[in-house]
Amino acid sequence: MKNVEIDIAEIQERYYGRFNPNSILGATFALVAILFLYYLVPNYIEEPGYLKNPMLSPRFIPLVAGWLVLTLSIVMLIEGLLRPPKHTASEELHSGIPKLRWALMMAACAIYMFLFEQLGAITCGIFASLFLFLASSVRHVWVYLLGFAFPVVVSLLFIHVLNVPLPVGTIWE
Amino acid sequence: MENFSEVLTLFLSVDNFVAIAVGVLVGVIVGAIPGLTATMAVALALPFTFSLEPVTAILLLVGIYKGGMYGGSITAILIRTPGSPAAACTLLDGYPLAQQGKAKKALKTALYSSCVADLISNIALIFFASYLAKIALNFGPPEYFWLICFSLTIIVSVSGDSVVKGLIAAGLGVIVSSIGLDAVYGSQRLTFDSYDLMDRVSFIPLLIGLFAIPEVFEFYTSKVVPHIRTAASGASLTLAEFKRCLKTVIRGSLIGVVIGAIPGTGATAAAFISYSEAKRNSPRKNNFGKGEIEGVAAAEAGNNGVAGATMIPLLSLGIPGDVITAIILGAFMIHGLTPGPVLFQENLTMVYALFCGILVSSAVLLIVGNAAIRYFSLIAEIPKSILLPIVLMFCVYGAYAVNNSTFDIGLMLLFGLLGFIFNRTGIASAPFLIGFILGPMFEDNLRRTFLISKGDPSIFFRGPITWLFIALTIASLAFAAYRYWQNRIAATNAS
Repeated sequence: MKNVEIDIAEIQERYYGRFNPNSILGATFALVAILFLYYLVPNYIEEPGYLKNPMLSPRFIPLVAGWLVLTLSIVMLIEGLLRPPKHTASEELHSGIPKLRWALMMAACAIYMFLFEQLGAITCGIFASLFLFLASSVRHVWVYLLGFAFPVVVSLLFIHVLNVPLPVGTIWE
Repeated sequence: MENFSEVLTLFLSVDNFVAIAVGVLVGVIVGAIPGLTATMAVALALPFTFSLEPVTAILLLVGIYKGGMYGGSITAILIRTPGSPAAACTLLDGYPLAQQGKAKKALKTALYSSCVADLISNIALIFFASYLAKIALNFGPPEYFWLICFSLTIIVSVSGDSVVKGLIAAGLGVIVSSIGLDAVYGSQRLTFDSYDLMDRVSFIPLLIGLFAIPEVFEFYTSKVVPHIRTAASGASLTLAEFKRCLKTVIRGSLIGVVIGAIPGTGATAAAFISYSEAKRNSPRKNNFGKGEIEGVAAAEAGNNGVAGATMIPLLSLGIPGDVITAIILGAFMIHGLTPGPVLFQENLTMVYALFCGILVSSAVLLIVGNAAIRYFSLIAEIPKSILLPIVLMFCVYGAYAVNNSTFDIGLMLLFGLLGFIFNRTGIASAPFLIGFILGPMFEDNLRRTFLISKGDPSIFFRGPITWLFIALTIASLAFAAYRYWQNRIAATNAS
């Protein structure tokens, strides 16, 4: 996998159309806010039946925050439709990235998230580091050796110096 | 006298000195690596403080903060990449100096100006924090309610290019902060019957996720941008040159102190105001922007003058002045301490031990900064492809360490994804964090006020302190609106 280099100065700015990031983001946030206000709050925030003042309700602040998000999302949606933003140079940095690169990054995250207790901190650290080195096309063998050394050193630091009992891995027990 | 000896006993421990030295060193290194920020370093270091004494833990984080503030200027001068937004101003004269072969002069000017400004800022902290804390002892829930309203106005200044997006992020932060058991009625709020969520969303996974993980995601989903590199060489700063800059440094430091003490204004504003004042008053104003050491001195004095002063509202009122102090506020809470006037009543020796450590950190910054200039090329050459897998490992281990739970790793990655989406869509993460921290304080004081007044809203206007904070809130919003319109006019004229 080859790293793709880019010169930011060469990128020229241009405007988006009506379906630009701001209008899409505004619409998404508005939908999330509606879902929150009309489904999550009534069903997942319990309210005692003996409230003297509605402002003391456990629902009060979440409702205020939800309405704030909804109102501002609509503002953002309208602003996006009326005044489409410009493409920025940084956006060009994100196009044309090899799929394997971010797939390996996702795999590294998945190892940490789902196999941390089963494989243990050291094994997970080794696998994830090696995946990430591969993702960025590291070619030096000594760097891959670091991928073995660092998880061991850092885990021992956490366990023996900071007294954090990191998992050793249930499959090794 | 007895208190003084207690302070010395608490402060004069090897652990504290090691924490300051390690903190400043880590801060300078992280600040000097493009793409890694002091905020990220402080968030990552938080789990390491669990087993430390509270004073040692806070000094470690403060050391990273101060080191990071200076470290950001190194990359600004040498490779035209400011390590922090505040260092962007240093770039204006620092990089031209480096191009003229005077990189070492620029770096030394930045270091000495930073240390002087840091010292002045620390002295201001020691004098003003306790005084402000005494006043804050008269605060009740209504006063705190308005103080938090005033503090919430900082969202406008940390929102970046779009206030609307910043406010949405803050609203989301408040919603996330409401997850857990309700403090008054004990009813469940958005817990979905999960035991992991009943004790609220853990602070550290959220912090690490929001500020460290997006850097990792960003690297693996972006093309590589080549950097322009310059060696840290050339003639050093002479005493005569530094004397010439001293007036600018002191002026910049005082600007930094005043701005830092106001929650939310931030180091970037201080650096630019200090720079423009220096340019206005300098006999060499025409040389500014072309490689003037006074410009570097002004920018660095401005942004480092903020470092100690942002701790004034944190220690005396319990209100974070910026994102890093918000994380330090979390560190206080993790160690069972609540910053604010009560801290000065119940833990006075600890507060003064902290002050001693913060003063020492200025001297440590001088030593570490000098070493960093010498060995900078080594620091800057660490490729991100090697660094970021290790950063991710620290993030995961740190998040797990909070409750020894893999749930927190998932939570951290989830907030990392949110932070990544925020970055990609131009939404600042700082308002989310401010909403998350201040939301529960806002709700708590609102409810307590209604409970003590039995529902009478007139209590919110009960005295001069509440009126003062109402006026400050309105003034802060008016100032933000004024700046917003000025920026829009400038943008319209430019296009």
